[in-house]
Amino acid sequence: MTDGTLIKCVVWDIDNTLLAGVYLESGDRLPPADPRLLGVLRELAGRGILQALASRNPPEAADYVHRLTGADFAAMECGWGSKAAALRQIAADLGLAPGAVAFVDDDMLDRAEVAAAMPDVLVLTPDDAAEAADWPQFSPPVITAEARRRTQLYAARRRREAEARAFGGSRADFLRKVGTRVTIGHAAPADTARLHELSVRTHQLNSAGNPVTEAELAVCISSSADLVATVTLADDFGDDGLVGAAIMSGNAVASGPVPSVMWVPLVMMSCRALGRGTLDALLAWLCRTAAAAGSTELQVPCLVTERNVPMRLALAAAGLRAEPGAVAADGRAVFARPLTGELPGLPDWVSDRDPQ
Amino acid sequence: MKAGEAQSRITGELRQMLAAVTGRDQLLEIPPQTQLFGVGVGLDSLAGTLLLRRVQRRYGVDVAAEDLNLDALQTLGTLAAFIAERV
Repeated sequence: MTDGTLIKCVVWDIDNTLLAGVYLESGDRLPPADPRLLGVLRELAGRGILQALASRNPPEAADYVHRLTGADFAAMECGWGSKAAALRQIAADLGLAPGAVAFVDDDMLDRAEVAAAMPDVLVLTPDDAAEAADWPQFSPPVITAEARRRTQLYAARRRREAEARAFGGSRADFLRKVGTRVTIGHAAPADTARLHELSVRTHQLNSAGNPVTEAELAVCISSSADLVATVTLADDFGDDGLVGAAIMSGNAVASGPVPSVMWVPLVMMSCRALGRGTLDALLAWLCRTAAAAGSTELQVPCLVTERNVPMRLALAAAGLRAEPGAVAADGRAVFARPLTGELPGLPDWVSDRDPQ
Repeated sequence: MKAGEAQSRITGELRQMLAAVTGRDQLLEIPPQTQLFGVGVGLDSLAGTLLLRRVQRRYGVDVAAEDLNLDALQTLGTLAAFIAERV
């Protein structure tokens, strides 16, 4: 509890925690919310920390809490299994490491079970949680517009995924059906806070594997040698805002104004956008933009880890390859593709905000 | 002969996994040489990650750890051959 790891998701028990009573034992008069903890939940949600439910109850209990409090939940696990299993499922669904998860439960046995099975989870009593808003783990330094709506966006994602499962056609057909709109354009100085946040929070879809400071981003955005591309995403379920970006850097490898090799030191995408075509679109856009500028090859140095396999899949799908065995001592390999012949296409739901 | 049999059994299992992770039953019909990336199957990062996770659970083969470029994912046939060599 003393380290600086920020909590990204709080998982709440329902009975005698978020509710002042027990859902199934309350007869006709369902219990009210615990006002103290509901206040904490709203405060933390406003800071961009996801909220979720894990309860030994039928799913109706979670629906009741949602209706009663008006709060959105990024994930809900109701059932009769162990709380540790519920937390593992929630962490997997949201793409979070256990160390980024806090768990609040009044039941000592459930707390002990989770603490033993998942030692990295921050386990709290309702009394601990009542003070959590003052703790550093719950105080992100910067709160962006995307962060404030984060739980809401995850709730939209849950509804979208339910519809996608029921839809039998291809991903592309589904994305078109739900009105997906992806816009790629040049970053503005006002984007630096969100871009920095993405560089810290993204892991599965991050090529560089290290955070980029706001100062570094500001330099790239204002420099004429670099290009910072941003990706915004929306569909009929909600507006996800700025979900991804890439930095293109021509002068890192060449001296002339039109480098033959376009070097892309960073590609990153929020895991919320996974499965929505944004990373494929960004890589296609990078290829096309670099080719239009006269480059003949695109190179993306990528940290090769277990966690960012989704990034390597997208690079492979866009036709980038590394020399076999080319992983350097720093864990990176340079993935490259020629910019001649047929380039990856931009799907019809992608628009270019700053057409050349 | 035996290796060929194992490979075609694995191909069949992979086809089922692919249909399951994409939710598209029509992929149960694709021939082993269909390209997984790009037009046709259009395997994206999400479906690809889920498929590799199932492969690891089923066969104990960590494709991503052994194949830097993920060339094994070119087709169901190449993926089955990659797995058959290792089980």
